[in-house]
Amino acid sequence: MIEVTQLTKRYRDLTAIEDLSFRVGKGEILGFLGPNGAGKSTTMRILTGFQPATSGTAKVAGFDVFEQPLEVKKRIGYLPEIPPVYPDMSIASYLRFVAELKGVPRKVRRDEVDRVAEAAKVSHVMDRLIANVSKGYRQRVGIAQALLGSPDVLILDEPTVGLDPSQILEVRELIRSLAGQHTVVLSTHILQEVSATCDTVLIIARGRLVAHEKLDALQARHPGRSLDEIFLQLTSDTRGAIAPPPAPESTEAA
Amino acid sequence: MRNAIAIAKKELYLYFTTPIAYVAFFATSFIGAWFFLSLTASFQRQSMQFMQFQAPQMMERMNLTDMVAAPLLVNMGLILTFVIPFLSMRLFSEERRQKTMELLMTAPLRSSEIVFGKYLAALVVLAVVLAIVAVFPTLLTIFGSSSAGSAIEWQTVGAGLVGLFLCGAAFLAIGIFVSSLTDSQVVAALITFFVLLLSWMVSWKAAEAEGAMREVILHASSVTHLVSFARGMVDLKDVVYFFSVIVLGLFLTHRAVEARRWA
Repeated sequence: MIEVTQLTKRYRDLTAIEDLSFRVGKGEILGFLGPNGAGKSTTMRILTGFQPATSGTAKVAGFDVFEQPLEVKKRIGYLPEIPPVYPDMSIASYLRFVAELKGVPRKVRRDEVDRVAEAAKVSHVMDRLIANVSKGYRQRVGIAQALLGSPDVLILDEPTVGLDPSQILEVRELIRSLAGQHTVVLSTHILQEVSATCDTVLIIARGRLVAHEKLDALQARHPGRSLDEIFLQLTSDTRGAIAPPPAPESTEAA
Repeated sequence: MRNAIAIAKKELYLYFTTPIAYVAFFATSFIGAWFFLSLTASFQRQSMQFMQFQAPQMMERMNLTDMVAAPLLVNMGLILTFVIPFLSMRLFSEERRQKTMELLMTAPLRSSEIVFGKYLAALVVLAVVLAIVAVFPTLLTIFGSSSAGSAIEWQTVGAGLVGLFLCGAAFLAIGIFVSSLTDSQVVAALITFFVLLLSWMVSWKAAEAEGAMREVILHASSVTHLVSFARGMVDLKDVVYFFSVIVLGLFLTHRAVEARRWA
């Protein structure tokens, strides 16, 4: 579903990501892990067509992000790091606006808005102004917005930031329920999140890929160590002589 | 086009749920009324004087269209130089500050549709502002008409209103471009106000200049073109002036929005 080949992004003298290649299969949930500043958000912005890459290609559902951005954007639901909401709009009118932008037909727009509001658990505050709801609700509105139109691919940049523990569990539940029909890429630096929601984990550090495999395979390669320890080890010695990890077999089918 | 309308609807929603549109309407109606009252008062004073001095030939030359409606429309052009920055300042600055640009740029629509939709919404608000301005000459028709006919020559006033709309549309195109350059609404408003006021004030320099210089200044200044509309003349060169500014402004905005991707 997602195919990234030798992706590189440089900002003047800073290299955000370098030579990143990976594939994500249909229906898979990929956890995108990395310390702050590792290039997670940059990769997601390139995948969604918000920013161009310096070199390399990214394909979503067979369409090149750079060559056919509109086709890609039709198939992606995206939650950026900061939920892109308008404080002066009510939640209902905001979701209706995004539904219209995403080309949800007028007849089913109301049902679609109700469906995502239900899924993100904001249906009881639909008439409140976004300026007046808490950070957790803004985050949920951001998630609801990404779900509109049931896109094939969901790209969620730190979806559980700002939520309280019970909301975090709900959102993880929601993401798990999307597996199968939707391909999900979610970034996080909370390790439990990955073990709770994802099939596959992709770890990057300083813009480079350091691991991309099934969660249990990663555990098996480092017996007797917790995920935290593996993560710390992988992200600290990127300059060391670690061989590029083998890609997981299941993703080859995409 | 469907996408541009979706954007325009959202912008109109924000104009009318925040105080911005209402502040613009209030400023136009209040200051418009101020100008209108002083213009009608001076018209009254002059006609009294001519009557006193028994100068019928002067009386014949006095009319409400040239002495009240036309100067009112030109003065409203000056009012637009500070109403327009209000209307255009948040169009892109606020999207950038709130990080909502990321939503628009990753939704399946072209950046030209974003620019056009926003511009369209601003034009609708401008049209309401002009409807408020049009109330004043309408009052003259209602209360000033006599057996001799309408107090106002509507062809002339109509041309003036069209000119004022084109002038406002050109100002908006400049404003939307400035807004696309900065994250700060205040900076956008101030720079737009400065540019628009300058385009107005530059005509004052024409009085001192001579020859070719004078021509250049007069043609570059927005007020010259508005004045010729207000006199009831729809001249191709004035229409071309305003349309060029509109097209240039929107083109530069589109470029600026696209350029942000590469930053």
